[in-house]
Amino acid sequence: MLEKLSHILFSSRLLLPDLLFGVVFLAIVATIAFSQKLDVERTYRLFNMLMITVLISSGLVFYALFEFYKQDFESVSALFGQLIYLDSISLFFKIIISIASLAVLIHVWVLGYKVVGEFYAIFMALVWGLFIMTMTTNWLMLYVSLELVSICSYILVVFNKEKDNSEAGIKYLLFGATSSAIMLYGISLLYGMTGTLNFVGQEFATFLSQNPTWIVQIAVFMTIGGLLFKLSAVPFHSWTPDVYEATPTPIVAFLSIAPKAAVILVLIRLFSSLSIDFRMIMAIIIMASITIGNFSALWQTNTKRMLGYSTIAHAGFMLVGLLATNPIGIQSTIFYITTYLFITLAAFLLIDLMALKTESYELESLRGLGQQNTFLGLAAVIIMIALVGLPPTVGFTGKLLLFTALWESYQSSGSNMLLVVLIFGLLNTAISIFYYIKIPYYMIFKEPKIGVRYYPIGFIRNGFLLIFLFFIIYLFMSPSGLINLIESLKLA
Amino acid sequence: MNNFLLSALIFLPIAGSVVVLFLPSTFRDSFRWISLIVSVINLLNILTLYNNFDRQVSNYQFVEQHEWIRMSLGNLGVLSIDYLLGVDGINMPMVLLSGIILLIGSISSFTIEYRQKAYHSLYLLLSGSIIGCFVSIDFFLFFLFFEFMLLPMYFLIGIWGSEHREYAAIKFFIYTLVGSILILIVMIGLSMSVKDPFFSQEMGRTVHTFDFRQLTDFNNFIPHSILHPYEKQMIFGVPARLFAFILLIVGFGIKLPSVPFHTWLPDAHVEAPTPVSVVLAGILLKVGAYGFIRIAYGFFPDIAYQFTYIVAGAGVISIIYGALNALAQEDLKKMIAYSSISHMGFVLLGLASLTLEGVNGAIYQMFGHGLVSAMLFLVAGVIYDRTYNRLIKNFRGLSSAMPYFTLAVAVAFFGALGLPTLPGFMGEFFTILGGFQSEILPNWVSMLAMLGIVLSAAYFLWTLQRMFFGTFWANSNQEGKMQDLDFREIVMLYSLSAFSIIIGIFPSLIFDISGVSVKAFLNGF
Repeated sequence: MLEKLSHILFSSRLLLPDLLFGVVFLAIVATIAFSQKLDVERTYRLFNMLMITVLISSGLVFYALFEFYKQDFESVSALFGQLIYLDSISLFFKIIISIASLAVLIHVWVLGYKVVGEFYAIFMALVWGLFIMTMTTNWLMLYVSLELVSICSYILVVFNKEKDNSEAGIKYLLFGATSSAIMLYGISLLYGMTGTLNFVGQEFATFLSQNPTWIVQIAVFMTIGGLLFKLSAVPFHSWTPDVYEATPTPIVAFLSIAPKAAVILVLIRLFSSLSIDFRMIMAIIIMASITIGNFSALWQTNTKRMLGYSTIAHAGFMLVGLLATNPIGIQSTIFYITTYLFITLAAFLLIDLMALKTESYELESLRGLGQQNTFLGLAAVIIMIALVGLPPTVGFTGKLLLFTALWESYQSSGSNMLLVVLIFGLLNTAISIFYYIKIPYYMIFKEPKIGVRYYPIGFIRNGFLLIFLFFIIYLFMSPSGLINLIESLKLA
Repeated sequence: MNNFLLSALIFLPIAGSVVVLFLPSTFRDSFRWISLIVSVINLLNILTLYNNFDRQVSNYQFVEQHEWIRMSLGNLGVLSIDYLLGVDGINMPMVLLSGIILLIGSISSFTIEYRQKAYHSLYLLLSGSIIGCFVSIDFFLFFLFFEFMLLPMYFLIGIWGSEHREYAAIKFFIYTLVGSILILIVMIGLSMSVKDPFFSQEMGRTVHTFDFRQLTDFNNFIPHSILHPYEKQMIFGVPARLFAFILLIVGFGIKLPSVPFHTWLPDAHVEAPTPVSVVLAGILLKVGAYGFIRIAYGFFPDIAYQFTYIVAGAGVISIIYGALNALAQEDLKKMIAYSSISHMGFVLLGLASLTLEGVNGAIYQMFGHGLVSAMLFLVAGVIYDRTYNRLIKNFRGLSSAMPYFTLAVAVAFFGALGLPTLPGFMGEFFTILGGFQSEILPNWVSMLAMLGIVLSAAYFLWTLQRMFFGTFWANSNQEGKMQDLDFREIVMLYSLSAFSIIIGIFPSLIFDISGVSVKAFLNGF
């Protein structure tokens, strides 16, 4: 008993930064609950205060994580009776998620989104859920954290209560619930086969290999269904464009990176202990995601919807490293995620800045914007070619590493399927240029409409975008630092 | 080793581009001068390079090597990417050509009035990346510049082009991007199959390299790698090296362009503004040809030897098909575009012959065609600038109204159709001679190529006759606009004519440079 208590205490101490999120969540909820009937001015001041609290706590957590990370984690700390594993890779992903949330909160702030106080509480809970997800190696914990993330996302998506917004929210909810159910079914099958809830242990691998391969494949596919839903990979992608179109941009930006990063880490853990050949199904998922994402994006006239389809394609690229099933594949996936963080946040910030100028997300409204504002035009070019994966942006380095890993895997296994994915994936980037380039194309090539009024952007917002642009270029010029950091990560 | 000349060639234009970008618009009249001055300095630097180039050495000279990216790939070793520049006899002529054409292009850009700042910024960026592409001898760096040329080109065609510019620009972009992706696949495969012997020993782990010098050496291939030359690995039942070779010839074939991947070229040329056409025809096409020599043939000599007839066939088909198309064109610029396809076919033929004459001839033809095609597009630009019309049938008897112009046109046309003492002759002569001497190619291939010369004489002379001889007339009473060349045009056309004649009479200016390196290159086969 005493031993158990001390173990729990030890575990809690290591998770202090995560627990802080819970405390802040409760504090915000309490503040909102007990401060009724405020005048508008005071409410806004309260929101500002909340905002700052959140920023500082995020910053503190970020710093604490970094300190943790600097100490070399030779042994993995299994916490709470092996329900949670704290290792360097999960800390790295927590840092990524912290950066993303911080950026999104700044996005909300500098663009002057009018949000209510509950937004911050739910956002905190969402980030907390993601943090737990990065550490989980247990089916039950995974499901709990996934549901925490999902429920918070459902609420965030319908936050501004417009008509098309609630339609998207319902779609999101229904698809999410269905894929959760499928996942739960898959988990129960896997539990029945292996008798263990821990999916990285030796036990799991051994028992799994004693079952017929095709049954295990189906069970695993169903299990990762819930994860693929978060990743918006085919066949769990169909919610993406509607939700992306109707949801406030900062939240979309967050959904396009943070849950995906956490999910990818879970997949990395799962696949590194999976004792069956799952590559065929992965290859199909990847090729379908890339193709459907890219081809559907070709016809879009709304920039947010287009980026929604583009994230489907990018989900496919993220999985390429996992298909390679070698250490460099995992490293390049992490590299890709880290760099995609900057690219996608920049892309959503960009279209939001443009919408600020033109009050519309339609491609048509971008006419001549780049001529009127050279900085935005230049930024659009850089961000879009980064999404395509052309030099001199880090998008190119990321894709190069992924496909290098895939080639290496092909070379050692001789499986032609991998080469097909490689050629297929790379040729798809040529298709993607067609729609990505549309944004700078409308901004720079088309003459502006007469009589359109543009709104000024302001120095801080431009500066904020410039930070992302800097990272997009800088990480291309010297990726070594990040790569060495990723290489030093250890998987539990 | 402490030599920054090559870096200066790349970074001076890029720095110029940044300067232009950040200068306020009140300096708008100075942008063109900045780009002119940068081009002049670059040409002077290139001439210094040309002077100091050691003609007896086949290795790379003026080598600059800096470690750029060392990526650890875990137990697979290290991926080593260097900032590695150098010139040898194969790319030196191309660098010289780039210097000349980029200068002419920047003079020609003086007519651009619309959004000068953006134009000159992009033009300088393009200049830097073109030269970077020619002087890089690290595959990664080469690819980087190769890809990076696309963007400025896309905008130059898409913003400053004529009517259907947007269609032409996106077509150009997608075609070349597909080509470069095919090259990227081979690049990944090659670097994964090759290790750097010195660094690998030094570091005690496999160092995957992109260094051209290591990629050409068969001893550096890692055992059991896919592209290993002696272990016949298969991909989809095709030998892996053949597969890679085909990807490369398609990739560079699009850039060259060779039939059947040529359809972007007429569109891009017709829509591009004159200076951009000049650069496109004068240099960018040569990047494709250079890739054929350096990469497709240089890295896969075994396969290239076996399957060189594919390249020769593509060359001959390009020659004939391009010429027949040129014969049928009504638009002067389109005719010139197709003639470019036809003349680049000779480069492929010469290379495919794998003889000393043929490959030297191919390099010479690249250089000569660079000068001549630049002139041809300037000629089309002169007419277009005056009347906004390019149809051949709209003009007659221009020689009486524009004698200076007609003289330049004559040099350009005869240079292209292969009159002795002008560059076209030597290039075609040597490539065809190479084709006949080649042990691999049957003689009828070269005979068919000779048919191309006859055809090119036909369409050039016919055009000359239709447009320049007879009584002076221009459609819709535009006779008054047909003034003779102004000073700027005289400088461009006559200096190019002078260059062409010098090169035509003294072909050794090029052959001296390329000879030793080509000999070493052919030893690999």
